[in-house]
Order: sequence, then structure tokens, then C-alpha cells
Amino acid sequence: MENRPLEYDYTVAKMFMLTTVVLGIVGMLVGVILAWEMAFPAVNTIAGQGLAEYTNFSRLRPLHTDAVIFGFTVSGIFATWYYVGQRVLKVSMAESKFLMFLGKLHFWLYLMLVVAVVGSLLLGITTSKEYAEFEWPIDIAVVVVWVIWGLQIFGLIGIRREKSLYISIWYYIATFLGIAMLYLFNNMEIPTYFASGGIGSWYHSVSMYSGTNDALVQWWYGHNAVAFGFTVPIVAMIYYFLPKESGQAVYSYKLSLLAFWGLMFVYLWAGGHHLLFSTVPDWMQTMGSVFSVVLILPSWGSAINMLLTMKGEWQQVASSPLIKFMVLASTFYMFSTLEGPIQAIKSVNALAHFTDWIVGHVHDGTLGWVAFMIMASLFHMAPRVFKREIYSKSLMNTQFWIQTLGVVLYFTSMWIAGITQGMMWRAHDEFGNLAYSFIDTVSVLHPYFTIRAVGGTLYLVGMFLFAYNMYKTMTSGRRVEESELQNASPMGA
Amino acid sequence: MFHWLEKRPFFFAVAVFVVISFAGLIEILPNFAQASQPVVGTKPYSTLELAGRHVYIKNSCNACHSQLIRPFKSETDRYGHYSLSGEYAYDRPFLWGSKRTGPDLHRVGNYRTTDWHENHMKDPTAVVPGSIMPAYGWMFKNTADIDTAYAEQLTIQKVFAVPYNKEVPLADGSKATVALADSVEGARASALEEAKVIAADMKDQDVKDAVAAGEIPEIVAIIAYLNSLK
Amino acid sequence: MNKTVLAAIIVVIAMLGFTYAAVEMTGGVDKLMKGGDWVNMLAILGAVILVIVTSFVVTKYVRQMQNDTATGKLADENWDGIGEYKNELPFGWAVIFLGSIVWAMWYFLAGYPVNAYSQIGEYNADVAVHDAKFEAEHKNMDAETLKEMGGSVFIVQCAPCHGLTADGIDGKAANLTHRLEEKSVKHVINNGANNFKTDYPGGMPPMLLQDPAQIDAVAKYVASGFKADDTAGKAAFLAGTCNTCHGENGEGMPSVAPKINGWEAAMVATVLKDGKKGAIGAMPAFNNLTEVQVKALGAYVTDLSK
Ligand code: HEC
Ligand code: HEC
Ligand code: HEC
Ligand code: HEM
Ligand code: HEM
Ligand SMILES: [Ca+2]
Ligand SMILES: [Ca+2]
Ligand SMILES: [Cu+2]
Repeated sequence: MENRPLEYDYTVAKMFMLTTVVLGIVGMLVGVILAWEMAFPAVNTIAGQGLAEYTNFSRLRPLHTDAVIFGFTVSGIFATWYYVGQRVLKVSMAESKFLMFLGKLHFWLYLMLVVAVVGSLLLGITTSKEYAEFEWPIDIAVVVVWVIWGLQIFGLIGIRREKSLYISIWYYIATFLGIAMLYLFNNMEIPTYFASGGIGSWYHSVSMYSGTNDALVQWWYGHNAVAFGFTVPIVAMIYYFLPKESGQAVYSYKLSLLAFWGLMFVYLWAGGHHLLFSTVPDWMQTMGSVFSVVLILPSWGSAINMLLTMKGEWQQVASSPLIKFMVLASTFYMFSTLEGPIQAIKSVNALAHFTDWIVGHVHDGTLGWVAFMIMASLFHMAPRVFKREIYSKSLMNTQFWIQTLGVVLYFTSMWIAGITQGMMWRAHDEFGNLAYSFIDTVSVLHPYFTIRAVGGTLYLVGMFLFAYNMYKTMTSGRRVEESELQNASPMGA
Repeated sequence: MFHWLEKRPFFFAVAVFVVISFAGLIEILPNFAQASQPVVGTKPYSTLELAGRHVYIKNSCNACHSQLIRPFKSETDRYGHYSLSGEYAYDRPFLWGSKRTGPDLHRVGNYRTTDWHENHMKDPTAVVPGSIMPAYGWMFKNTADIDTAYAEQLTIQKVFAVPYNKEVPLADGSKATVALADSVEGARASALEEAKVIAADMKDQDVKDAVAAGEIPEIVAIIAYLNSLK
Repeated sequence: MNKTVLAAIIVVIAMLGFTYAAVEMTGGVDKLMKGGDWVNMLAILGAVILVIVTSFVVTKYVRQMQNDTATGKLADENWDGIGEYKNELPFGWAVIFLGSIVWAMWYFLAGYPVNAYSQIGEYNADVAVHDAKFEAEHKNMDAETLKEMGGSVFIVQCAPCHGLTADGIDGKAANLTHRLEEKSVKHVINNGANNFKTDYPGGMPPMLLQDPAQIDAVAKYVASGFKADDTAGKAAFLAGTCNTCHGENGEGMPSVAPKINGWEAAMVATVLKDGKKGAIGAMPAFNNLTEVQVKALGAYVTDLSK
């Protein structure tokens, strides 16, 4: 046993790869619908007046955010965990029946959760808190699924052969702990049915916190849900997949170390930047601003570490679409983690808050960084878990360029839209009265909403190419030997 | 020391947890100590208003509308006095929103009226040409869930001592009492009384008929809620 | 020139162009600089810095991918074939990180407490400056400018109900291009009215006329602005029912009854003060408008029906 290479068991990883692809398409399809609805409101009734209740912008928006976060991204996190975890801990899931069972349970419970979430959001069952919309029965299921994942992580670590934890593992552990803590506290709510002795709907609840306090807890959660959902686990991915795919050693352990602990320490303080000029005390807002600026450094630390890992390897960047995805992802990561802090400066936020500039920031992070990185990870995993060559390199290249164009159209249009809108809201005319009625500030955005919708549609087209390429890889890619799978992934023409 | 941690997953996890948890302790707990006290004039929601608030949440109006007027001249000109912490004392959950695709609504009750909302919710472009807000036709047909609103009122009265059936001070020095019925039937009846007042200012015959027949369409509840935002 | 550098320059220029476009749409660079709105200027500055810094830094590392080679001492460990160099921290990064931590601590412990910033204090100061500036300008406004100002307030505050042309959007609010509709007059005669408690505390009693034909006639006469040659309507109006309060030609009487033969600024002010609920619907009161704004709206509305 010790002398043969380990046979890693990717059963669970494959299952989550499937949900990553499917939920990615669903979530982004809904996003594309939203984008067209903002450009052309007639799209709200695209399925007819009768179904407008379920297809209009406001009902679909939480579905988009939750599908891409808890569906696409979280599936991606799980899928990569079930792959990376085994490999860097040097232990196979097949070695423990218990962990295998947990892993499958994890998947099936997760899938049931997805169904419950989609159904409830379409019916308008929501608590309204952003990225924490679920009512208490779903919250409980989320906690169960999360705890199972935790058992899985620590179980696997418990039987590991590699004594020392690789950087990616640090980040997966942090993801687990961070989300667990945040989710629990932000979802403290009292089911009214039980508290009132059986009146009304059974699933309704009321928040434990009110007003300003509720806002504080929500944005401590909301900001860090971004941290531990869109940053920490994605950094875990890049620390494994970029060096692995390129065959390069990580540039600097010290930089990894400082960036990790710096990120852990600084991120949690910055949530106040979602509440600038609100009714939370001035000092907390200021703290949010100040720590956001400091946060640039630990964020850029990881990105720079990855870019420097590619030092001298330009020919790989130029020739491999897989590496291109990852290098561009680091670039967008740097862009959004400088953009965020700039938007967190009080005077800038005074203009940017509530506008589309924030939406632009959200999507250069999620489309350019999160989604690119998840897709790159899946591309790297595919030949290894299916023992087949990636079906088509040229399709991958096409996808890369289409989606890059999509992201660029998305964030540049929202950049203009946000700044324009922010300045129009503030403008006073020569008499000292407001210069624009609200609807003026809406109508002016029409061209940008349209451009964004086009960009989003391109990105979605890329998603379909991705799904197709993965499907073909799985079913008809050329079979490959273990020896071809050391570094650069084998790709068909 | 870090190498040491990297070989000991348990201590590593503890260290991460300590580092990520104390920001929350320092930033959030102090504000709980000075829990938000209602400002003078802030009243708990009536049953119908609360049912309307649930309709607002059900349809994620907060996806496009904020309820937070920031202290800038341009915002107070457009929406009225900047928001105060105490005004949200009875807001569970808070509905500040994070995107203004549409205007702020924190004080919309001051400058819009029942008949306007009726026209606007049925077809926003009929009153505001170029509006990109969806039309909410189904609210004229769906029935509001009064029971759940009542259940929530009971809950918050019991758990958070929200002052139903107690006098609360108003800005003009007088006092008001928001009554809470002592049974579901009572709550339905009082909500219907409120609904009648709203329906009287509306034009949609189906809605008027429904209310006359003892039913409360969602639109009536949400208008009651919007009118309460002052 | 190297392609990467060129690409970075193009990105920067394009993004600056987009930012410029946004500024242009809202009045142009000139207005931005002269407008004195700090927030606008800082936001634009932030956007510019963001683009330049990101492009510059990323280009620097891409150049290293192109021209440099990876070196360093490898650590002993390796995970699934991934090694780690024991390289030192990039110098610039380390210095800025340290600097930012020192700055944050200084800011928090010394800078912030000393400045004792308060957002409400800042707001009050802003409003004071704004008011002082415009009060001086508003002092000597001629009628024409007043009307123009009224128009600007109208578009923001009133157009959502009355429409851009003030025609009431198909009966959804009062049509302000004339004084009264027949429907409204009838409604008042039948139901009385008591909206304007501040200026006309007595209100108007209902049922002063009861004969439907007469009500019709009066309504037509009043709605026409006292111009129709409707002798029946005119006669009934003058028969001691209406004219006692509203005057012979509907010119109104202070504290007794409003002018109903046309608009006047004072009447508009009354509506804004108390709001109005009538045959068409309900209009909210607007008590947050300034005196000048109310006067300006009066001038604007009065002018609409001319
Ligand atoms: C797609 C975004 C969107 C959604 C969702 C949306 N609105 Fe709007 N809303 C707008 C826009 C844009 C305006 C401004 C134009 C107008 O008045 O129609 C507006 C205006 C309003 C106004 C008028 C406020 C004012 O000051 O003029 C009210 C009241 C309102 N919406 C209520 C609601 C309610 C209640 C819901 C949910 C049931 C809702 N909106 C959902 C976009 C939206
Ligand atoms: C007792 C005095 C009195 C008499 C008599 C009277 N009015 Fe009035 N009228 C008022 C007052 C006071 C108001 C303002 C009502 C309010 O506060 O809303 C008013 C308002 C009106 C208005 C509505 C103005 C607006 O801006 O909407 C009309 C139209 C009107 N009167 C017509 C008549 C006619 C026609 C008659 C005769 C049948 C009449 N009034 C008799 C006192 C009177
Ligand atoms: C929420 C909608 C709404 C807004 C906002 C609004 N109005 Fe009105 N307004 C109405 C309605 C409805 C009426 C008709 C009331 C009736 O007579 O039935 C009305 C009536 C009036 C009248 C009296 C017309 C008459 O014949 O007596 C005046 C004057 C007026 N509005 C001016 C304004 C001005 C000036 C503004 C802006 C500062 C404004 N309104 C904002 C809805 C509105
Ligand atoms: C240094 C790192 C970052 C900082 C300081 C930061 C800061 C900010 C700020 C100031 C806002 C706007 C708040 C508002 O005015 O409404 C914001 C919003 C947001 N950011 Fe970031 N950001 C950072 C990185 C990222 C990254 C990498 C992502 C995702 C990949 C991201 C996702 C989001 C999301 C989803 C929102 C919207 C939250 C909402 O719903 O309002 N951020 N961020
Ligand atoms: C095809 C690609 C996508 C399109 C067209 C799209 C479109 C949209 C639209 C139209 C909105 C609403 C903006 C508004 O209310 O003004 C939105 C919000 C959001 N989207 Fe996407 N989206 C896409 C992909 C993604 C992905 C992949 C993610 C995350 C992984 C994501 C995360 C979010 C988040 C967090 C918000 C909420 C932002 C906020 O509240 O500030 N989106 N998206
Ligand atoms: Ca919840
Ligand atoms: Ca948001
Ligand atoms: Cu944040």
C-alpha cells in the first residue's frame, strides 16, 4: 500500500461537480433574466401575466443571489474540497467507510436543501436579510449540512498522512469556522407559530434583533459571508490548482502566512462599510472604513503570491487556457479588493452606496474571480476524476474570451451607471433645489442596463460552453494514463 | 510557532476561531448594551400594517428600495428628515436595503397616498412613464395573511415587550395606543376595520367588494404599511 | 512597446474614458470642479486611482512572468507535488502592510478621537452653507425666475402624481392647467369640504344645492372659470348660496372661502400646507418645502392655467 500511489476516491467530488455546473447555469440564467428585466421591464411578464408573480424581478433576485452563492459557489467549494482535501492530506476517502458515508449523506442532504430553497424563494418565503433569506426550517437543515462537512474535514484531517497542513487546508478550515459562526448568529429568529401557541403559518419567524442592531449583525454577516464564501475558499482553490497545474512551487511561504493571518484578523472588522452614514454609531462606521483600507494588503498578498508563482512561466499563460483563467482570476481579485476599499472610504461611499457601482464591484469579484476560479478548478479536476482528457482546448479558449468580454461589459457599464446615478442623486440646480427627479436618474441608465444584460448573456453562453465541454470530457474524452496527469492537464484540440 | 500550529489542526482551528471572533465581540456587543430605544412618535405596527410588511418582504421590495435616509442635503431634500436609530425600534427584520433601483421609502407615507399607490402598484408606468418597477397585479387578488401577522405581534409582545395595548408618546405631546386583539378572530376583525378605511380611498371595484365581503387583499395590507412609513 | 504594457495603457485610457463619460453626463468636468461637491470629486479620484494602481501593479508582475525566472530555496515539505519557496516577502508589500497597520492604529487611537467626527454635525454644517448661499441668491428673484424655480421643484416633487405637464395624468391627480373640474365641484357641493383647516377653518357645508340640474349647471359654470354663458349656473351661483362666501366671481374671501375662479399663489400654498382629499383622490401635505419653494410653486402653478 505505502509504495503504490494512493487511489483517491472522487465519488463525492464528482457529485458536487455536477451541482456546481447545473446550479451555476441556473443561477446565472436567473441573473441574466434579472438584467434584461432592468433594461426592459416587459421581461417581467415574459411567462405571461399569470406567472408574473414568480418571474418578476423582485421575486427572482434572491433566487439569483442564493443560487449562485449557496448553489454554484458552495457546490464548487465542496467539490474542490473532496478533491483537494484527499490529495494534500495524502489520504483516500476509500480508507474510511464512515467518511464515505458522511460524504454521500452530505451530498444528498445538500440536494434536498437546494430543492427546498428554490421552492421557498419562488413562493416568496423569505426573511429579507440579504444572503440569509431562508426561514428557520431551512436554517436548521443548512446547519446540519454544514456540520456534516465539518465532520468530514476534521475526519479526513484526523486520518491524514501528511503531518503538516497545506495552505489550502488552512483556508478550508477557516471557511468552515467562519460561515458556521456567522450563519448561526445572523439567523437567530423565533418561530412565531410556536411562540404564539399555534397561530398563522408554521414556518414564519421573527428576527431576534431589531432595527439598527439587526442591521449590524446582518452586515457583520453579509460582509463576511463574502469573505468566507467568495474569498477564503476561492483562495484555497488557487493555492492548490495554480501551482499544481503549472508545476511551479508557491512563491513564498512567508507571504502565504502573513496574508492568511492578516486576512483572518482584518476581514471581520470591515463589515461596517455596508453601514456608512446609517444610524450605527460613527466610530463603528469609521472602524469599517479604516480596516477596509488595511484589508487591501492581505488580499493582494495572496494574489501577488500567485502571480509571482508564475514568474518566468509566460509561455504557460500564453498557451494554456486553464492557466489563463487563473491568472485573470487573480487580476480580478486584485481589482475588486482595491475597488472595495475605495468604495469603503466614507466620502466615496456617500456617492457609491445604493448605486450600480456596487453591483459592478460585486460582479467583477464574482464573475472575474469566483466563477473563473471555480471553473478552472473543475477543468483541472475533470481529467483526473474521469480519467479522460479535457474534450476541447479550443472550446475552452473560446469560453475564456467570451466570458472575459462578458465581465468587462458588465463592470464597465455598471461603473458608468453607478457614478452617473450617484452624481445625479446628489445634484442641485442653480436654485439650490434637486436637479433631477428620481425617474430621470432611472431612465438615463437604460443603455447601461442593456449593455450589462448583453455582457451577462455572453457570460452565460460561456457557461453553456463550459457545461458542454465538461459533459463531453466525461463521456467521450480520450482516456488518459496516470502518468499524463502530473501537472498540465491533457486537453484535446 | 506557525509551523507548530500547522501540524496541530485542533489548535490551528482554535487560533483561527479566536482571531475571527473577537472583532464581532468588540464591534457588535457594545451596541446591544445600548439597545435601540424608540424615538418619540414611533409606534408598533398594527396587525394590518404588519401583514403589509410581510407582503413587502415576500415580494422583496427591499431588493430595489432602501429605507434609510442618509444625512445629506440631497437626500433630506428628496425624502425628508434623515433616519434616526430609534425609529427602527420595532423593525424586525430591519429593511434598510442596499440598492436603490427605486427611491427610498422610509418616509413615503408623507408624500404619497392610497389612491396613488393603488395606481402605481397596478401599473407603475401609468403614473410614472418610464418606470422600470414591475407591476404587482396579483396583490389585488391574493389574500393577506392576517393570522401570521397576529402571531408575530403576540410573539414580539411576549418576548421583546413591544408595547401593544400601552400608551406610547407622540411627537405632538399626545399619546397613542396600538391595540392588540386578544384572539385571532379579534385581530381579523380589527384588521378588517382598518382595511375598510383604506379600501374607501381606492377605486378597484374587486378590491372594494372583497373588503366588503370580509377579505383583505394583499394590496390593501401593503398600502396600509406604506402609509405607515413616515 | 511590450504588448502587456500597451494593453495596460489601453485599459487605463478606456476606463478613464468611461469615467469621463459619466462625469460628462452629469454636467461635465467644469461643473465637477466648480460644483464644490467633495463627494463627487473624491469618488472620481478613487475611481481613477483604482484603475491606475491595479493596471500598473498587475503589469509589473506580468512582466516578471515574461522576463524573470523563478528562484529561491525550496522548503523540505511538499504536498501532492506542490513545493514552497522560502522567499522573503515582497519588500513594497511588506512596507505598505506595516504602514497601513500603523496608520490604522494611529487613526483609531489618536486621529479619530481628536477629530471627534460626527456625521450629523457635518450634515448641519453642509445645510447651513447651502442655505446661506441660496438665501442670498433668492432674495431678489424676479417673477420669471421664480416661475422657473417653481418648475424645477415641480418636476421632482409633484410630477410623480400630476405628471410632467401637470395635466394630472388622465385624471389620476388634479389637472393643474385649469382650476377645477366639474366632477370636483359637484363632489364639493354634495359632500362639502373641510381640507384647508388652517386657512378656512369653517369648511364648506354639504348639500347647499340639491336639485341635480342646478348642481350640474353650477358645476359647469364654475369649472369653466366663470366664463360660460350658462345663465342657469350663473344665476344659481349668485342666488345667495355660493357667492356669499366665494364672492360674485368666485374670487374668494380671506378666512371664509378660497378663490375658485383661477389659481393664485396663496391658494397653492394652502393646498401644500394642508393637503387635499377630493373627488379625484388624495394629495399629501408638503410641509418640508421652504417658503421660497412654496412661493415658487405658487407662481408656477398660477402660470400654468394662463
Ligand atoms: C425593479 C425594481 C423595483 C422593484 C422590485 C420595486 N420597485 Fe418600487 N420603484 C422602482 C422604481 C425604479 C421607482 C421609481 C419610478 C416610479 O415611481 O415608478 C419605484 C417607485 C416606487 C414608489 C414611489 C416612491 C416615490 O417616492 O416616488 C413606491 C411607493 C414603490 N416603488 C413601492 C414598491 C413596493 C411596495 C415594491 C414591492 C412590492 C416595489 N416598489 C418594488 C423600482 C422597483
Ligand atoms: C359657508 C361658506 C361657503 C359657501 C356658502 C360655499 N362655499 Fe365653497 N368653499 C368654502 C370653503 C371654506 C371651502 C374650502 C374647503 C376646504 O377647506 O377644503 C370651499 C371650497 C369650494 C370648492 C373647492 C375648491 C378647491 O380648491 O377644491 C368649490 C369648487 C366650491 N367651494 C364651490 C362652491 C359652490 C359652487 C358653492 C355654492 C353651491 C359654494 N362653494 C358655497 C366655503 C363655502
Ligand atoms: C401623491 C400624489 C400627489 C403629489 C405628490 C402631489 N399632488 Fe397635488 N394633488 C394630488 C391629487 C390626487 C389632487 C386632487 C385632489 C382632489 O381634489 O381630489 C391634487 C390636487 C392638487 C392641487 C389642488 C387642485 C385643485 O383643483 O384644488 C394643487 C394646487 C396641487 N395638487 C399642487 C401640487 C403641488 C405643487 C405638488 C408638489 C409639491 C403636488 N400637488 C404634489 C396628488 C398629488
Ligand atoms: C478588500 C476587500 C473588499 C472590500 C474592502 C470590499 C468593500 C465593499 C464595499 C465598501 C461594498 C459596498 C457597500 C455598500 O455601500 O453597499 C461592498 C459590497 C460588496 N462586495 Fe466587496 N469588498 C471587498 C472585496 C470583495 C470581493 C473579493 C467580493 C466578491 C467576490 C466582494 C463582494 C461584494 C458583494 C457581494 C457586495 C454587495 C453587498 C450588498 O449586497 O450590498 N467584495 N464591498
Ligand atoms: C451571467 C452572469 C450574471 C448576471 C447577468 C448577473 C446579474 C445580476 C443582476 C441583474 C443583479 C441585480 C442587481 C441589482 O439589483 O441592481 C445581480 C445581483 C447579484 N449577483 Fe449576479 N449576475 C450574474 C452572475 C453572478 C455570479 C456568478 C454571482 C456570484 C457568484 C453573482 C452574485 C450576485 C450578488 C451577490 C448580487 C447582489 C448584489 C447586491 O446586492 O449588491 N452574480 N446579478
Ligand atoms: Ca434565516
Ligand atoms: Ca445588496
Ligand atoms: Cu463588505
